[in-house]
Amino acid sequence: MRNDGRKKMVEMKGVTKYFGALKALDSVSLDVYEGEKVVIIGPSGSGKSTLLRSVNRLEEINGGTIVVDGFDIYDPAVDINKVRVEVGMVFQQFNVFPHKTVLQNLTLAQQVVRKRSKAEAEQVAFRLLDKVGIREKAHVYPTKLSGGQQQRVAIARALAMQPRLMLFDEPTSALDPEMIGEVLDVMVNLAREGMTMIVVTHEMGFAREVADRVIFMDYGVILEEGSPEHFFANPTHERAQQFMRQIL
Amino acid sequence: MAEIAPKRFRKKKNEEPKKVLIDVGDGAAIPSKEDVGLFTAWRVAFFGAIGISAGLCIFKPDPYLEIMKFVPDGILVTFEVTVLSILLALVIGLFTGLGRISKNRLINGTASLYVEVIRGIPLLAQLFYIYFALGRFVQLPPLPSAVIAMGVCYGAYMGEIFRAGIQAIPKGQTEAARSLGMTPAQSMYHVILPQAVKTILPPVGNEFVALLKDSSLVSILAVADLLRRGREFASQSFAYFETYTMVALVYLMITLFFSKLISIMEEKISAE
Repeated sequence: MRNDGRKKMVEMKGVTKYFGALKALDSVSLDVYEGEKVVIIGPSGSGKSTLLRSVNRLEEINGGTIVVDGFDIYDPAVDINKVRVEVGMVFQQFNVFPHKTVLQNLTLAQQVVRKRSKAEAEQVAFRLLDKVGIREKAHVYPTKLSGGQQQRVAIARALAMQPRLMLFDEPTSALDPEMIGEVLDVMVNLAREGMTMIVVTHEMGFAREVADRVIFMDYGVILEEGSPEHFFANPTHERAQQFMRQIL
Repeated sequence: MAEIAPKRFRKKKNEEPKKVLIDVGDGAAIPSKEDVGLFTAWRVAFFGAIGISAGLCIFKPDPYLEIMKFVPDGILVTFEVTVLSILLALVIGLFTGLGRISKNRLINGTASLYVEVIRGIPLLAQLFYIYFALGRFVQLPPLPSAVIAMGVCYGAYMGEIFRAGIQAIPKGQTEAARSLGMTPAQSMYHVILPQAVKTILPPVGNEFVALLKDSSLVSILAVADLLRRGREFASQSFAYFETYTMVALVYLMITLFFSKLISIMEEKISAE
């Protein structure tokens, strides 16, 4: 469909994952192309977060292969840390570093992993803090910030590594309703700049605005795949119809 | 339409950063301001000890003032043993704690075995073992023997404190660090340990006070610590009651002083 010569950023084949006896992912295959924005939706426990987390190997999988940016990340010969530098991750619970200021949150990995000088790292950090609109909080500890601000710090922290792919794991699910907008705005802007994004979310407005493709998952499999319009108008699978009714 | 949701395999994770208190229950109780009873008791004991020892020295200088002139050398040795031992214990404890959470079965097994063995042998027996039994192979002077024995012993307890402190940090912190490309060691050093220090400090303070008291055991090895100096004085003067009264009061003052100091430090750190 969109195999128009673009490079595959993520290539998943037959990915299977068990939590004990429970099959969280059942032979899932999914390709994401460079510059593409993929939104994954589905009920909680459908395996969508597990799928996303396996893309930078935060979960060990029990079968299948995942190739990210040309690297088979479950191959023991591949240095996963090198791949992770190119893959930004944003978590539901923000996971900002509470013992570091906002600025230090953004510079730490740049200095430690990217080996940038402090001055260079801070320059990058300030540019990104401008972008997410919290430059004035640079020297504040993140515990003093609202959830929306913390999540924007987390996004800026991931972007500071200049990743080629961004993963969002329900980035607005832990936020108060009035703060969801500010985080989504940052994500929409990022999408417009051409970032490759895989987003697990229930925000269908966001999906409609930026998604090239929406993936509906349940029972650890991809049940349906299509444009956002397709999901709004007439999802074919019964579980997808039911899910859309519930969240809209 | 309202169908019962199918049973899901995983609960949504909600990692709230929870405040964890590691209660080792060893050493002097560190008084906090909320605990009014203990706080008052601390003042009564501390200032009482100062008052009584000062009073005894002033009104009955023979033998009390003589004792007070004789034992300070020992206080220095007690401090020396305590500080060196706690430093050694911290280093051993850090590696033991890391070993105990290691996924490597050999490292994990070794660390666990060390903790189990050491915790199962009384400190006094360990002191004897290192100084007398191992003396057959390497004869170390009393002070290094004492420091090694105490450090190795407290290192095992310290290891458990480090382990608990590290495990109290939400998993999301490690995941965030690793997803930025940090190695396990980098994420431990830059992200986890600095946060764990807050949780670890109170029980480490507790261990310090406990170790300070246990350091009196080294007097057995002819290390001239506070207790040993007292014993020397008593055996010359036969003033057993007077000497050991003073020794006990000095220990009490030191211990209470440090308990207080640690609780102040703790308050400052948690206020940050």
